[in-house]
Amino acid sequence: MATELAHDESARDAGQYDPFTIEIIQNALQAICDEMFVAMRKTAMSAIIYEVLDMGTAIVDPKGNLASAGAGIPLFVAGLDKAVLFMIRKCEEDGIEIEPGDVFVTNDPYNGGVTHLNDVAFLMPVFVDGEIVAWTADIAHWNDVGGMVPGSMAPTATEIFQEGLRLPGVKIVAGGTPNEPLIEVMKINSRMPDFLEGDLWAGIAAVRVGARRLEGVVRKYGAPIFREAMERYLDYGERMTREALKDLPKGRFTYREEQDSGLVYGCTIEIRDDTFIVDVRDNPPEPGPYNISRDASLLAAQLLLKAVSDPRPICNGGNFRPLQFFTKKGTVFDPEEPAAHGVYYETVLRLYDLLWRCLASHLPEMLPAGHHASMCATVLGGIHPDTGRPYTIVEPQLGGWGGHPAGDGSSAVFSGFHGLTFNCPAEINEARNGLFVDRLELNPDPGGEGRERGGKGIRADYRVRAQDGFLTCFYTRSRFPPWGLAGGRDGSPNYVEIRRTDGTVERHAEVTNFGLGQGDVVRIVTGNGGGYGDPKERPRDAVADDIRNGYLTEGRAREVYGYDAASQSVTDTL
Amino acid sequence: MADAEQATARGSVRVATDVGGTFTDLVCFEADPETGHQIVRTAKVDTTPPDYERGVFEVLKKSDVAFADIAFLAHGTTVIINAVTERKGARTALITTEGFRDVLEIARGDRPNYFDLTYRKPPPFVPRYLRFEVPGRISYAGEELQPLDLSGLPEIVDALRAAEVEAVAICLLHSYANDAHEAETLAAVQRLAPELSAVASHQITRQWREYERTNTAVLSAYVKPAADRYLSKLNQTLEASEFGGQLYIMQSNCGVDTVDATRETPIKMVESGPASGVWGAAELGRLLGERNVLALDIGGTTAKCSLVEGGHVTIISDYWIERNRESAGYPILVPVVDLVEIGNGGGSIAWVDHLGRLHVGPRSAGADPGPVAYAKGGSEPTTTDANLALGRINADYFCGGAITADMAAVNGALDTLSGVLGVSREEAARGIVRIANHNMINALKLVSLNRGHDPRDFALVAFGGGGGMHASALAAELQIEKVIIPAESAVFAAWGMVMSDLRRDYFRTFLCDLDDDAPALLRETFGLMERQALAQFDSEGLDTTGVAFIRFARFRYRNQEHSAEVLLPDEGVTGGNLAAVRERFETNYEREYTYRLDTAVEVVGLHLVGQAEVGKLALVEKPVRGRDLADAEKGRRMVDFDLEGRHEATLYDGAMLEPGMTFNNPAIIEEAGATIVVRPGDDAAIDSYGNVILHVRQA
Repeated sequence: MATELAHDESARDAGQYDPFTIEIIQNALQAICDEMFVAMRKTAMSAIIYEVLDMGTAIVDPKGNLASAGAGIPLFVAGLDKAVLFMIRKCEEDGIEIEPGDVFVTNDPYNGGVTHLNDVAFLMPVFVDGEIVAWTADIAHWNDVGGMVPGSMAPTATEIFQEGLRLPGVKIVAGGTPNEPLIEVMKINSRMPDFLEGDLWAGIAAVRVGARRLEGVVRKYGAPIFREAMERYLDYGERMTREALKDLPKGRFTYREEQDSGLVYGCTIEIRDDTFIVDVRDNPPEPGPYNISRDASLLAAQLLLKAVSDPRPICNGGNFRPLQFFTKKGTVFDPEEPAAHGVYYETVLRLYDLLWRCLASHLPEMLPAGHHASMCATVLGGIHPDTGRPYTIVEPQLGGWGGHPAGDGSSAVFSGFHGLTFNCPAEINEARNGLFVDRLELNPDPGGEGRERGGKGIRADYRVRAQDGFLTCFYTRSRFPPWGLAGGRDGSPNYVEIRRTDGTVERHAEVTNFGLGQGDVVRIVTGNGGGYGDPKERPRDAVADDIRNGYLTEGRAREVYGYDAASQSVTDTL
Repeated sequence: MADAEQATARGSVRVATDVGGTFTDLVCFEADPETGHQIVRTAKVDTTPPDYERGVFEVLKKSDVAFADIAFLAHGTTVIINAVTERKGARTALITTEGFRDVLEIARGDRPNYFDLTYRKPPPFVPRYLRFEVPGRISYAGEELQPLDLSGLPEIVDALRAAEVEAVAICLLHSYANDAHEAETLAAVQRLAPELSAVASHQITRQWREYERTNTAVLSAYVKPAADRYLSKLNQTLEASEFGGQLYIMQSNCGVDTVDATRETPIKMVESGPASGVWGAAELGRLLGERNVLALDIGGTTAKCSLVEGGHVTIISDYWIERNRESAGYPILVPVVDLVEIGNGGGSIAWVDHLGRLHVGPRSAGADPGPVAYAKGGSEPTTTDANLALGRINADYFCGGAITADMAAVNGALDTLSGVLGVSREEAARGIVRIANHNMINALKLVSLNRGHDPRDFALVAFGGGGGMHASALAAELQIEKVIIPAESAVFAAWGMVMSDLRRDYFRTFLCDLDDDAPALLRETFGLMERQALAQFDSEGLDTTGVAFIRFARFRYRNQEHSAEVLLPDEGVTGGNLAAVRERFETNYEREYTYRLDTAVEVVGLHLVGQAEVGKLALVEKPVRGRDLADAEKGRRMVDFDLEGRHEATLYDGAMLEPGMTFNNPAIIEEAGATIVVRPGDDAAIDSYGNVILHVRQA
């Protein structure tokens, strides 16, 4: 190919590559990640993947560095490099031959899976002329991978064996041929085998699409310049962070915070001119399913660094080179096998929120006051009375975000560990699942007042249509609400109410397989975000606007904002 | 309104007018009375906000077209999209189902740039105090669960009046399945407050997802009063003139519609700008026997591309505005041609970020100050400046000779950029063009490869001011063999507008299994949709005998959400072709997603297209005067073809080229509004209509 020759020659002659070809290859890495994301989203069978987009895609270099991250949720895209790195090492150590057409699968946090057994990752080496030039990878949350409870995430689990089928990084496709017996094993271990198979093929299709595109790019420009482009892209990522580090406040910051569980988590962050050090060694062990792997803890630190350095949507492993990270084996943030991980997502968010809070008062323009900061994972199931078929909803919840100097917090957005995640429309929810959505509205609970107020959480009523329904949920920030900043008020807590047909109301944050009868209402309430700044300094017209829009009662306005609606009414109407 | 035949008898002139943000353009197609050959005339005036119809009238006058000769006047406008993006619509309220007034604000909860913790959600177009609720519930199956209670409506109407609301949107839960409650609410609002402009969601779409449908109704209400005033005044202005032809309004679905229908749901015009060009490409493809076409329109600020398969444009119904990597944007469920638009046009600015990487666009120098070469104050080089520096655009014939290109300024701007990048001026210019090309290639891939189509199966129809400049390089990269640069490529979109049919797309969420019961269910529902469509045509006084229907259905494997749309056989789905229809779905599905499933297939939606020809322009072959190719030659100059190196290229005067001419030397064809680059190795031919056909050398 003429162009390829031209590049190779110029490279030899000048000792360097054409910068524009480099740029074009780097852009292609991003475009291919996005394309994988689209392919996966469209073909997934589980609502949690295609509606909630609980998934991610990435391209990883042959050494296990994140070369490019796709859309999805940040927790996932920055986990995939760690999965590939594990796979590379495992193949080396165990003498496993990696061949063209292979696809590996892992979900085990002790074997490259990073998160929990529900999150299944596919990893595909991309070969050109017999050499691995990159890996394509994707990951998505599957509805059910077996284990002791439907949905697989059991709040009572104490060992990972109770949480479903473990896939320790094995070939699900070998040299292009699917490993049918393995697929059969996976299906029989799931309560929802048809969904499992659909999601499985969606995941495989996406890594294949990405691999095909990458091969095209490498064949066009040649492997040497492709490698150079990836390396320079990582260098670019590193420089993004280093440039930003220069402007951050330097010093050592510590924060300790009691959790809803009564445990106290702590962290120390040290910012230097060229290094960002996160130390979470001083933390307790965790007996239940709330452990997170060291890689998942690292991810929380990486994402916080990204948020305070250069949050533009360009992300690769280079961004994280200035990060040093310390954990201690046997603690919640670096557990010993076989500790359980099912509800890892809540802990990793707790850690993220802790690191965020640790720096927020020093960096309010990048870090707003606390948000609802819980996945508010809600699993609801039963029989759909119209079809007679069982249904299960697995969904995270929207909540309120904190105020910050530039403005009020947003209402009804997914947690800080979500991104391109969408809620399930009530109309689809009612068609698909055996329930009525009686209301979906902003949370009227007080809290989150400030010069810039927190955004509102939601209040959703799900009325169960048949007998023998069940609810499993695990919400945090139910005892300790989202935190205010710089004099702003704390927000309001996350919780669930079971409103029985007999009029009784019970409030919960955590239930497992909780029985529901026909007509019972599950009321989901998520927190209002924390406020920023002294409420007394909030512009009076903004307070009046909040009252007019029903975000605030007159009584609360008087109490917190020192605003008397009656005496202001004359000026307000002007 | 006079019917089409009468109009044809009166005159044969077809005019397209387009109101843009800066200029109001006119293109007029008429036959030379002596030779029968087509003459194309253009005119341009400043856009005249807020009385846009004045500009339309002015441009018609300026063009010297005799109003009485105009048979067909197609009108496109950015008035709607501008009202939305500039937030200049009406004060709007919402009436919705009890318990759901916050749906508009809750939206879908996504945060596209998940690294940015200071994300601010796009605010709803209706503030909370103007969102009202009424009790009453319909089920997803369309059954009434709780009767509609409008007893609170008088109080709501009082509140609307007190708040000086101009427009009200009505969207009730599950109205896609049963519109009875919504229709009743709409009628009651119109009765209680006839002065309000009211829109109900079922008038626009019958698809589920309450946030998307609510926002659609809200934005429709938001633009309706302004659209109504504008279209009324336009109609009045024309009626007061000698104009006796047909006025049609360009829609986003590649069709035109009547003024009356457009006034009902003006939001359907929202993306009408790019639609006409895509339609033109499809029409031209059909005429030339190219049923598979990639349409590419490169303008000053953006490049737009769309895929036409088997002669059919792709119309989608899940369109979002202001949606990007940084913002969730707003959904509008109206029929819109499926296209990808990127901020890459002739005026796109090349810039280096703080870490030394070169980018082109999306920021544009626009028309003012324009490229550096305009010498109107632009200092950052644009794609046009790079093309000038490479010799592709003739510095001595810039903008058809209308502007003297300030090459000293261009070189200075490029030198600044090349200094930062550490490369030569020429390398910087090549780099800009290559990056711009790459951006456009990505966009072309998004509409082809990402949808499972192989670009090699398509011909590239490239138009707009920059289409011919970049087409050959893009085609080579995508391994497309054939490029068609239409005659008058700079105003080709206007040609598409006058070629449009009257077209309406109806989408409906409809769920059933694709089994033996499906044919009857589909026949019944399509029958209902067709009767409603014909009744609508009829009620507007349109001739229904010429209405042709095209039927599509969306299928999915059970439990999947995302679906593939399939063109149904003309006879619809029958017991006899059930297997063939399933096979068609699975073929499409496998092409896009690489696998099939041994799972039941479900119908999830129906898409009906009703179209009627409203008298198209017959394309006339271009005269052959027997000129020699050498007559068209204006000279030669060195041109930098980046990866292919520098070559001496022949310059041709596009106006002197005529059908049958061919050449295979590196060349630049200069037209008044466009430059066509023929790269080394390309074979160029002028076809009988004056289109330039390139057979692109494959790398």
